[in-house]
Amino acid sequence: MTTSAIKKPLKQKGPSKRSTVLGISQAEARRETISAYLFLLPFLVVFVGFVLIPMVMCLWTSFFDSTMAREDIFVGFGNYIKMFQDEIFWKALMNTALIVVVAVPTVTAFSLWVASAIYKMKGAACSFFRCVFYLPVVTGTVAVTVVWKWMFNNYYGIVNYIAKGTGLIENNVNWLGNEKTAIWCIILILFTTSIGQPIVLYVSALGNVDASLVEAAEVDGATRLQTFWKIMWPQITPTTLYILVITTINSFQCFALIQLLTSGGPNHSTDTIMYYIYYKAFKLYEYGYGNAMGVILAIVIALFSALQFKVAGKRD
Amino acid sequence: MKKALALVMAGVMALSLAACGGSTANSGSTTSTGSTGSQNTNTSGTEITLWTYPIGSWQDSATVDGFIAKFNEKHPDIKVNVEYLDYTNGDDKVTTAIEAKNTPDIIFEGPERLVTNWGAKGLMVDLSDLWTEEATADISQTSEAVVNACKSADGKYYEYPMCMTAHNMAINYELFEKAGALQYIDEETRSWTTDNFVKALEAIKESGLAATPAIVYCGGQGGDQGTRALVNNLYSGTYTNADHTAYTANSEANVKALQLLQDLNKQGLVNFDPAAQASDELQMFANGTAAMTFCWNASNEATYASQVNFTPYAMNFPSDDGKAELCGGIWGFGIFDNGDQAKIDAAKTFIQFICDDATQGPASVQATGFFPVRASFGNVYEGTENAERMATFATFLPNMGDYYNVTGGWTEQRTAWWNMLQEIGGGTDVKTAADKFVTTANAAIAK
Repeated sequence: MTTSAIKKPLKQKGPSKRSTVLGISQAEARRETISAYLFLLPFLVVFVGFVLIPMVMCLWTSFFDSTMAREDIFVGFGNYIKMFQDEIFWKALMNTALIVVVAVPTVTAFSLWVASAIYKMKGAACSFFRCVFYLPVVTGTVAVTVVWKWMFNNYYGIVNYIAKGTGLIENNVNWLGNEKTAIWCIILILFTTSIGQPIVLYVSALGNVDASLVEAAEVDGATRLQTFWKIMWPQITPTTLYILVITTINSFQCFALIQLLTSGGPNHSTDTIMYYIYYKAFKLYEYGYGNAMGVILAIVIALFSALQFKVAGKRD
Repeated sequence: MKKALALVMAGVMALSLAACGGSTANSGSTTSTGSTGSQNTNTSGTEITLWTYPIGSWQDSATVDGFIAKFNEKHPDIKVNVEYLDYTNGDDKVTTAIEAKNTPDIIFEGPERLVTNWGAKGLMVDLSDLWTEEATADISQTSEAVVNACKSADGKYYEYPMCMTAHNMAINYELFEKAGALQYIDEETRSWTTDNFVKALEAIKESGLAATPAIVYCGGQGGDQGTRALVNNLYSGTYTNADHTAYTANSEANVKALQLLQDLNKQGLVNFDPAAQASDELQMFANGTAAMTFCWNASNEATYASQVNFTPYAMNFPSDDGKAELCGGIWGFGIFDNGDQAKIDAAKTFIQFICDDATQGPASVQATGFFPVRASFGNVYEGTENAERMATFATFLPNMGDYYNVTGGWTEQRTAWWNMLQEIGGGTDVKTAADKFVTTANAAIAK
């Protein structure tokens, strides 16, 4: 459609109704705006109903001693005070922080490494590797955890079999039943289920890097590292920022693996904030306390994300 | 034209979202008559919902649909919908339903949920009218503990029981035989003393026939009746006081038992495994990794029958005096109070048919793989292929001990229990860990 074709019907309107900037009458602009909002309305309803209102309710409930089949009792900041005196909450917070601090950089770095190795491959080979790394993402969490549980089994798990066979360990290790190893097993599994999407995103981002700039840098004598760091990295920074944020949020919200593999044990060594919220709210019906922890978790995630935006945004 | 199209598309999207929301309207329920008796209310055209936990074949839709079809032969105007819960997420689903005020009419589980949890919170219907003199006398004849377990502290019945069992343990018979450990059990009474239990563990370890003689699973609450029974029996301790108002797992006898288990763990004679839940332990018993399981009953034997290539020999738990007290399991029906008398009455009619009908009652019990609470039903397995197997398990019923599962704070203490076992397995001082458990559990009673 040509520009004249678009403007043709506009010429039929009176000159007093025309916008001076876009050549669209104010009435038409208003109608366009209303149409746009109508298209947005369903999603706005979902956002308000399933995100905004629950967030407000979560904050509101956090100020009450709320439980099943009883009127809520206003306790002010009582739940928050109780939370900061709760040893298990602190342990869960530390575990969650460990998961985030270890998982986010490793997932990002590994994904970038794999993506930079496969993005230049021919179509079939690149697709093969993308499928391989994406497989844990599309496989059901329950199936993934069942396989890992078997691999880590104390008595006949393949991890012990290989580790003993290669002389790394002398006796079987109860990987998921040992306070020192359980959290690292969780991080490893989380790592394998988290790298799929970043790899696909990085492959796409690296493929979109302006080849002429890379060639120009190479012609000017830049090393491969310099080319990557000075030419490619700035162009994939928005993707990196997105990966950092989603990986951080996913790591903070690590729940299913804990529920299915360790239930927070042994001795709370794999408790995370999300699992503790679930336990308090769904098992003990301490809704107010659970919501208070949810508020704190949301604030922590928001702070981390803001920090990432600030740091990565500057580079961008 | 463009504006009209935009409006139509927006409308379609909005309506499609609304359609996803579903409807909570009741279908077919009749107007309440205000009657409390199921016989006096018109329940015709009523639709009720049953949620059932996986108790034997009650997780099998073909079996349950068959029962409902038989019910509808007598009560064609009551439609029963069924949803199947599992023990991993079932409680969460019920909790969500309670908060959404969308609970089922009938739920099939045990007193620890129906009476102690939801009943105590005022969410269940008092079923006293189902507990007729005849029913009470019949059930009392089997076990007075069953009657008491279904009754709340204020005297209301929130459960109408159907079946029961006494949970026991099992050994790998052939492995014990090869290890020379059969000498430590009394095959006639299927019992053993604590000393002989330790000797058997030593013999098995020495034989090297199993990766571990026994697993004290503590990775979660599932099947925790096994570890509780093990600890309580070793030196005849009790889990709660007699009137179920306080937990007593830190008694001298229990601390002694826990200390013994910690010592055995250090010697490699048992293995405290925080990575294993009861289902894992059962699997490792079935595949020969462990020589015994602490989580056995008739239903589990039926479940694992096709997986074992040995004889799983059901046993009493070891005790210092050789007289075990087994944990009981009681399952029955409760009704959520949804405020619709017609549905409540229809639910009661269904429960009476399933539990009390002379023909259906025994069939309902058979499907669970357990035993009837009604003495008048007699041996429901007589003449069936399971007769001999169930006769063995019936011998454990007289050993059923106090049904303490109705003690307050039950849900929270369950988590505290396996956490305590994890601590003890990890080397924490036994008395300290047991005291901590009791403090947590007793505090939960007060909540």
